[in-house]
Amino acid sequence: MTSLTFDEAAFELLPKATEPLQRMRKQAFEEFRALPIPSQETEEWRYTDLSEFELSFEAHLPSVMRTTSGQDLEGLGIVFCDLDRAAESHAELVDRHLHTLVPTDRTKFTALHGAFRTGGTFLYIPRDVRVELPLQTLTYLDVDDAAAFPHTLLIADEGAEVTFIDRFASPDLARALSDAIVEIVVGDGAHVRYVSIQEWGAGVTHLGIQRARVGRDAEFRSLAIGFGASLARAEAETVLAGAGGFSEMLGVFFADGTQHFDHRSVQDHVAPNCSSDLLYKGALRDASRAVYSGWVHVRPGAQKTDAMQTSRNIVLSEHAKADAIPNLEIEANDVRCGHAASVGPVDEETVFYLESRGIPRAEAERLIVTGFFQEVLDRVRLDEVRHNAELAIQEELAEPSAEVVS
Amino acid sequence: MIGGATAPIGVKGDHGVAVSQEEHLRELSKGYRFDWKDESNSVFVPKRGLSEAVVEEISARKSEPDWMRKRRLKALKHFEQRPMPWWGADLSGIDFDNIYYFIRSTEKQAQNWEDLPEDIRGTWDKLGIPEAEKKYLGGVSAQYESEVVYHKIKKELDDIGVLFTDMDSALRDYPDLVKEHFGTLIPANDNKFAALNTAVWSGGSFIYVPPGVQVDIPLQAYFRINAENMGQFERTLIIADEGSYVHYVEGCSAPIYTSDSLHSAVVEIKAMKGARVRYTTIQNWSTNVYNLVTKRAAAYEDAVMEWVDGNIGSKVTMKYPSIYLLGKGARGEVLSVAFAGKGMHTDAGGKAIHAAPYTTSVITSKSVSKDGGRTGYRGLVRVEPGAHHARSNVRCDALILDEESRSDTYPYIEVEDETAALGHEATVSKVGEDQLFYLMSRGLSEVEATAMIVNGFIEPITRELPMEYAVELNRLIELQMEGSVG
Repeated sequence: MTSLTFDEAAFELLPKATEPLQRMRKQAFEEFRALPIPSQETEEWRYTDLSEFELSFEAHLPSVMRTTSGQDLEGLGIVFCDLDRAAESHAELVDRHLHTLVPTDRTKFTALHGAFRTGGTFLYIPRDVRVELPLQTLTYLDVDDAAAFPHTLLIADEGAEVTFIDRFASPDLARALSDAIVEIVVGDGAHVRYVSIQEWGAGVTHLGIQRARVGRDAEFRSLAIGFGASLARAEAETVLAGAGGFSEMLGVFFADGTQHFDHRSVQDHVAPNCSSDLLYKGALRDASRAVYSGWVHVRPGAQKTDAMQTSRNIVLSEHAKADAIPNLEIEANDVRCGHAASVGPVDEETVFYLESRGIPRAEAERLIVTGFFQEVLDRVRLDEVRHNAELAIQEELAEPSAEVVS
Repeated sequence: MIGGATAPIGVKGDHGVAVSQEEHLRELSKGYRFDWKDESNSVFVPKRGLSEAVVEEISARKSEPDWMRKRRLKALKHFEQRPMPWWGADLSGIDFDNIYYFIRSTEKQAQNWEDLPEDIRGTWDKLGIPEAEKKYLGGVSAQYESEVVYHKIKKELDDIGVLFTDMDSALRDYPDLVKEHFGTLIPANDNKFAALNTAVWSGGSFIYVPPGVQVDIPLQAYFRINAENMGQFERTLIIADEGSYVHYVEGCSAPIYTSDSLHSAVVEIKAMKGARVRYTTIQNWSTNVYNLVTKRAAAYEDAVMEWVDGNIGSKVTMKYPSIYLLGKGARGEVLSVAFAGKGMHTDAGGKAIHAAPYTTSVITSKSVSKDGGRTGYRGLVRVEPGAHHARSNVRCDALILDEESRSDTYPYIEVEDETAALGHEATVSKVGEDQLFYLMSRGLSEVEATAMIVNGFIEPITRELPMEYAVELNRLIELQMEGSVG
């Protein structure tokens, strides 16, 4: 066990890693010590206050379970294993890609991750290989005062196809930190579906960054489901780097109690002829708080871009609050870009309609919220994931309202 | 004078090529009709740069009460302490030491155009202000450099107690009203440029409309910068008392110089219970003016506040007219048109702060960028706790006419009340090929067709303008379009 602060002694106690990894760690450790805790003075952290955040945790290796749906992966040349092990067995791939999409010096927390991460998941799909069934990593944490550094590095070579589910779960804890990074390389013509299911228990602070680079004529579809953690900041970014690329980003969240969600997204159109579509839908109850801020960038020369960004928030109780900041930065003219955001209560007219049909108010509201989420869930092609999300929403709706301390 | 039709733009990627001053000027003045300069006509030798002494001198020349002098000096401290905004447009080109903060161009304000010095009068004639006054205005205020040189209000309005005067006179003639309201909506330390304005303000309009009075013809102010490196800091305060109505219109222009001028105004408006205020701006500064303006209105119970904000000119504009909805049932509307051509960055938008129940706001923004220009919509809709049943809708559309140009949208939506319903929508696109094709197949040139489409695009705003201004805005857009396509 390492000590409670991320100091020199804790750093020295880390298990040995490959030479390039050691170098990266060392550099990240320097960055960690140099960088400040992000301040609300900056636009990026305006809505999340970490100024009082105590960075004293035990670096802890969570339980990680990888499932393959019983498929023979080795025969296809697929690598699906622990990231540190891959750093030895597939050094060239790991060294080339690790922390290139999310560099360690991005924030104090990415630097901390770079310095103290051990474990994580590495997934490589060779050229033109199609994986039929979903692969999954479950990261489970059940230790108080622990810090986990989940990392997924997914590389789909040209023309490869894969569906990957990243699942994070824990019981309610006194306090814990999940400092997560996901890097996804979608090769030319490859198809990747990525699903993240964040079900951390109460007490967990989750700071996650997911960034994908989409190649020429490639397709990337992501779905982020977030129900857990006390404070969850989830950044999802897609860079459309090759012509003809496509990105779909869906998000579903439900906040209750005093949960604080800070969702951020980027659709970065670097190459021409790409399209991207983002739809985040969330419901808020009790005294929860959700912020959505998103960026669509269209870089000079990214002509024929078609980008859409939509954030819809339904506010179910008096003390909940939602903010939305959908931004566009467009530097090409032959484009079609749009965004839409809304924040509002359950529509009274619809409630009235249902009530007039003999449906009690509470049930009417449940039906409306279920319908509200259905627009996203209908686009999820993985039956099991969709079904579980539907169940989770029903559970949230069935819970009695938490006592609100005002 | 209009070079647009003859000189092809052809400057794509000419970085590093030395451009002579003359060419640079020609480029800047393309299509700009207001590029004449009067000989220097200051009544004393103006000084560049800003210091306590400059602020003291402005205050002394105006023989102000002591509280205003102190307020100015305090604001100067705020200005010095505040950093430049890190967001928005690039302001690094502003050289605060090179600016004239106060130029007095006549000794005495005129009530007749004939009483003005000849060159200054010529300027107003060319701008068509005396003509417009005769036809359809209830009062005119004309500011030249730092001060209002001409001012007149229709006798009928004067008789029913409408006060319309320049701010310097108001401070002298209605000191209590000014002291009660000055800086209450925009305190000196609100932002760096509001602090600057408070320190060196001069000119601007003061309007008071008594309860129940409907001023049914617009009052107009026109602002003209003549000198190079001029800083114009007008200060406007409008109070519409209960149940009254007033429409105030402002316009502006400046000649084109090789180095930049600064216009940094502060406008405060109070629409009392049941009042309605409409504030229309047609901003057409030359493309070497930094236009950094703070505009804020308070709307009390059942009041209506409307900003119609047309930004066609300037090098850089940063301006986000805001409305604080402070009384139950208050309504606010912002209509914003932004245009950015070569070398221009127009960062406009609007804010609505809902602080009372049953308040509504609508923000509509239309922007057009071309020839490497950059337009931005930046806005905020905020619902404070307890402002139940607030409604807001924001609609932003941007048109980008060529590959070099850019458009940004930064809308902030903050909601702290569950019964509030807010929506925001935006689109960015280019001129539709099929629309162009249709119009050209009917015999229009590409330029004409594009101008027609652009005019149609901003029509939701122009139809809200008085006829004369709508025509003017359309004409400005057409001028800006000339030589732009093809």
